[in-house]
Amino acid sequence: MRLLAWLTDNRFWPLFMKELRQIKRNRKLVVMLIMPPTVNLVLLGFAMNSEVKNVQLGVVDESRTAESRELISAFVEGGAFQLAERFESGEALGRALSAGQLDGGLVVPQDYAQKRARGQTAEVQILVDSVNSNRAGIAAGYAARVVAALNAKLAAAGGGAAVSSRASDVARAGAEPRVAVLYNPGLRTSWFIVTGTIGILMVLIGSLVASASMVNEKESGTIEQLLMTPAGSTEIIAAKIAPIMLLLSADILLAVFVVRLVFDVPVRGSLMLLYFAGMLCVLAGIGIGTFIATFTRSQTQAQLMSFFVNPPVSMLSGATTPIEGMPYWLQQVSYVNPVRHFSTIARGVLLKGVGLDILYPNVLALTAFTLVIVGASVWRFRKQLS
Amino acid sequence: MKRIIAQTRKELTQTFRDRLTLALALALPLAQMWLIGTAISLSVTDLRVVVQDMDQTPLSRRYAEVLRGSLTFEVVPLAADERPERALDTGDAHAAVVIPEHFERDLRRGAGVEVQWLLDGADANTATNMRNHANTITAAFNRQFAPEASRPAVVAKERFWFNPGNDEDQFVGPGIFAVGLALFPPLLAALAVSREGEQKTILQVYVSSISAFEYLLGKILAFLIIAAAEWSLTLLLAVLLFGLWFKGDPTPFLVSSFLFLFCSVAFGAMIGARIPDRAAAIQAIQNTCFLLSYLLSGFIFPVSNIPAGVRWVSYLIPARYYIEVARDTFVRGGGWAAVWYVPVALGALSAVYFASAWARMRHMQVEA
Repeated sequence: MRLLAWLTDNRFWPLFMKELRQIKRNRKLVVMLIMPPTVNLVLLGFAMNSEVKNVQLGVVDESRTAESRELISAFVEGGAFQLAERFESGEALGRALSAGQLDGGLVVPQDYAQKRARGQTAEVQILVDSVNSNRAGIAAGYAARVVAALNAKLAAAGGGAAVSSRASDVARAGAEPRVAVLYNPGLRTSWFIVTGTIGILMVLIGSLVASASMVNEKESGTIEQLLMTPAGSTEIIAAKIAPIMLLLSADILLAVFVVRLVFDVPVRGSLMLLYFAGMLCVLAGIGIGTFIATFTRSQTQAQLMSFFVNPPVSMLSGATTPIEGMPYWLQQVSYVNPVRHFSTIARGVLLKGVGLDILYPNVLALTAFTLVIVGASVWRFRKQLS
Repeated sequence: MKRIIAQTRKELTQTFRDRLTLALALALPLAQMWLIGTAISLSVTDLRVVVQDMDQTPLSRRYAEVLRGSLTFEVVPLAADERPERALDTGDAHAAVVIPEHFERDLRRGAGVEVQWLLDGADANTATNMRNHANTITAAFNRQFAPEASRPAVVAKERFWFNPGNDEDQFVGPGIFAVGLALFPPLLAALAVSREGEQKTILQVYVSSISAFEYLLGKILAFLIIAAAEWSLTLLLAVLLFGLWFKGDPTPFLVSSFLFLFCSVAFGAMIGARIPDRAAAIQAIQNTCFLLSYLLSGFIFPVSNIPAGVRWVSYLIPARYYIEVARDTFVRGGGWAAVWYVPVALGALSAVYFASAWARMRHMQVEA
C-alpha cells in the first residue's frame, strides 16, 4: 500500500504524463522515431557492401592457344571475374585501365603454351586497379586462388600422365588450408553493417530527441514555469527522460525486427540481453543529448553542436568499419564509445549467440559510460536551473 | 551586379560574426577529415589468431612461424585441451588455426594435410581477407617445405596499378576530401537562406529592389567564397596527411572543384529556400548531404555493389562525381579522357538545383 501511495502521490507522475502528452501531439517526433531506424538500416545494409564480385577483367591473349584459353576460362568460371573486353596489346589494356573502364587485366604472354609444354613455369601478368585498395587486395587474392586451382588440376592430370611408375611423386601434396567461416558463413557484409548501425541509431536518435525536448523548454521560456512547480530539478529531468526511453525502447525492437526481416540476420542469443543493452545505449544517447542541450540556447545551435559529437561517435566505433583498421591510439579511445560496446554486444547476441558470461565487460563499460554522461548532464542542468 | 556583390558582402559579414558557424565552416571539416581519414580503413593488421598445434613437431612449428611472419596476424598459442571456437566466441581472436596431429608425418609421406582455419565471419570483409591470407600463407609454407615438389605450372605475377603499395590512404584520402566538402558548404548555405525565412527577414528582401535571381546568386557567391577557403585548407591537409599529389593534368580537377562547390552550395540554397525552418533544414542536409554522400557515393563501398533499385539515387549526388575526379587526379591520373563527364554532370546538377531554388523564390511573395 505504501508503494501505491508513493506511486500516486508523487510529483514525478504528473510531469511524466505531461511529457508523454507533449510527445504524443508531436507528429514530427513520431516520424523521427520510426523513419530513421527503418530507412537507415535498410539503406545502409544494402549500400554498404564490400563484397568483391564482377571484377571487370580486360584480357590480352598473346598466346592464342588452347592452353591460354583454358587459363582465361578458369578466371571467368570462378564467378569473381567477368571478361569485359579483349585487347590486342598491353598498351591498349593500359589505356583502358587508366580511363577507369576496367578493374583489372590479365596478360598471357606469347610463350605461355611453349613453356607449359616444356614443363617450365609459365608466367602470366595480373594487373589490378588498386585505387580501391581493399577491393584490389581481395581481387588479387581471388586471382591467386584461380591460378592455384589451375595448378592443382594440371599437377593431377600432368603428373599422372608423365611417369606412372613413381606413384609416390604423383600424390605428393602439401599442406592445404581448410577454411570454415563461423557466425556468418555466407560472408554477408550487411550482417556486419546492420548489427553495428543499430547502436549508432540508438545513440543518435536518443541524443536528437533529448536535446530537442530540453532545448524546446528553454526556447519557449516554459522552463521557468516548470521551475515554479514544487518539483525538484532531478524530478523534472527524470520525467523528461523516462517517456523518451519508453518510446525508444520500442525502436530497439523495431530495429531488430527490420534486420531480421530484411537481411535474415539470425537471433542466436538472448533478446533480453540485447534489449537491456539497447536501453543502456538509448540512455547514453539521451545523456549526450541533454549534455549538448545544456550548452545551447536554441534548436539550431543544439543541432549544429551535435555535428561535433555525432560523426566521431558513429565513425570511431567499429560499427561499420573494423576497429582493427584504426590506429592504435584511436582503438584505445574507442573504449569510451558506447556504440563500440553496443556493437560488440549486438554481434555477440545476434550472430555469435554468446551470453552475459562473455559480454559482461561490454555491458559494464556501457553502464559506466551511461551513468557518467547522464550524471554529468543532470549536474549541469541543475546548475543552470538554480 | 552591384546588388549581387552587396548581398555577398552582407552575407559574409553576417557569417563571420557567428563564431559557432565559423567554426563549423572552417575547423570542423578539417577535424573531421583528419579523424575519419585516419580511422576509416578496411585493411587490418595485427589480427589476433590462436594457433593450436596438435602435432608439436619442427614442421608444425614452421607453419606457425610462417604465420607469425605475416603482418596481418598476431599469433597466440593455444593449449591442446582448449576449444578454439571459444577464442572466437569471446572475441579474443579473429581466427583459430588448428594444426592436426601427424602433420609432419603425413607431409613427409607426401600425403596432403589439411590445416583447419576457423574464421570469425561477423565482419565479412575482414573474413574474406583472412581467407585469402590463409591460402597465401599455406602456399608460402609449401614452397619452404618442398620447393622442388611444388613448382607450379603457372605463376601469376600481380601488379597493383596506380597505387603500387596498395596503400589505403590513397583510397580513403580523396574520398574523405570529397565527402567532407559535400556536407559543410551546403549546410551553411541552407542555414543562411532558411534563417531569412524563419526570422521573416525575407520580407525585407521582397520589398527591396533586388531580384530573386540576384539574391540567390549573391548568397551562393558568399558561400562559394567560404567553400573555396575550406577547399584550400582541406586540400592542404589532404596533401600533408595522405601524401596525395596530382598524378597528371590538374585542370579537370580544378574545373570540377569549382562546379562541385557551386553545385553543393546551390543545393544548400535550394534546401534553405524550400524549408524556412533552420532545425528542419539541418535535418534535411544531414540526411541528404551527409548520409547519402557517405553511403551512395562510393566513398568506401563501390557504387557498383549498390542494388540497382537504389543506385539511380547516386546519380543525383554531386559527391559521387567529385570522388571520381579526385581519385583520378590523385591516384590514377587518367586526365580528361577518363573524367570528361564529371564537369558535365556537375554542371547539369548545378543548373537543376539553382533553378529549383529560384523557382521557389522567384515570386518574391509570402505564400499564404
